Amino acid sequence: MGGQACVFYGAAEFSRDTDLAILSSSDNLECFRAALAGLDAECIALPPFQPEYLLRGHAVHFRCHHPDAVGMRIDVMSVMRGVAPFDRLWARRTTIQTADGDAYDLLSLADLVQAKKTQRDKDWPMLRRLVEADYLQYRAQSTPGHIEFWLNQLRTPVLLVELAVRHPDVAADVARHRPLVAFAVAGDPIAVQDALAVEEATERDADRRYWQPLRAELETLRHRRP
Amino acid sequence: MVAIDEICDDEWAEWYRLTPQERWDRSQALWPTFLALGGTLDAEPDTHSPFFDADAWRPVPVDGRPGVRVLRRSGI
Repeated sequence: MGGQACVFYGAAEFSRDTDLAILSSSDNLECFRAALAGLDAECIALPPFQPEYLLRGHAVHFRCHHPDAVGMRIDVMSVMRGVAPFDRLWARRTTIQTADGDAYDLLSLADLVQAKKTQRDKDWPMLRRLVEADYLQYRAQSTPGHIEFWLNQLRTPVLLVELAVRHPDVAADVARHRPLVAFAVAGDPIAVQDALAVEEATERDADRRYWQPLRAELETLRHRRP
Repeated sequence: MVAIDEICDDEWAEWYRLTPQERWDRSQALWPTFLALGGTLDAEPDTHSPFFDADAWRPVPVDGRPGVRVLRRSGI
């Protein structure tokens, strides 16, 4: 769900860790434990690898010691803020197959975009790139689904203006829950830019508030650490 | 219609023009070079992450072996 998915969809990140979204069921966690054993992976940092932490929204971290993957980090999550439950993520995933026959399941673009709305600086330029790349690739043969997605998620003012001017009725609908789209309909990229900054600040603040109790829980665990 | 090069530089425009599969392949092709140049798979800590734990992170030496130790120190 991390760097490689961003590369696939059009952003660019040279990420060395592997971020996985997994179903936190007992059967699946057993499979995952077996895979970790194959990589000679140890759980590092907190919390411990237990389903209740995954279900509360924590990330669990591992480092591999297998000779083919020495030092490689794996971060695992099952629940992410504002992101659909795992069964829906799985149903709409993107599966790619490489020339050597390996298959990889990636979060759909819409889910990846949602997962990237965090408090971290680096995620916001990435978000813009992800939607920008999708828009530039498909705008000539867009579907109603594309248009609604882009009106809700684009973060490039001139592209948002272009789209909103071309589809004013849909844009007016979207503007009811994303008010900055009204500036795009009016053809005002400067006002869109300013409103995007406010939107980003609001999301980042929501993410900080979401993490407050989780961080407090981690802090408690750290104090109990021998 | 807004042109790609109106919103980004040439490098990004070239990247955007690739298909998703081509982007994936290009990214994968970087790994052998990165590792051949001594790159490590151990990621730097993300200090901006909400779950960053400074006590838990420790770097793995680039060569995968224990770090340099002072065996003998001469006087000044």
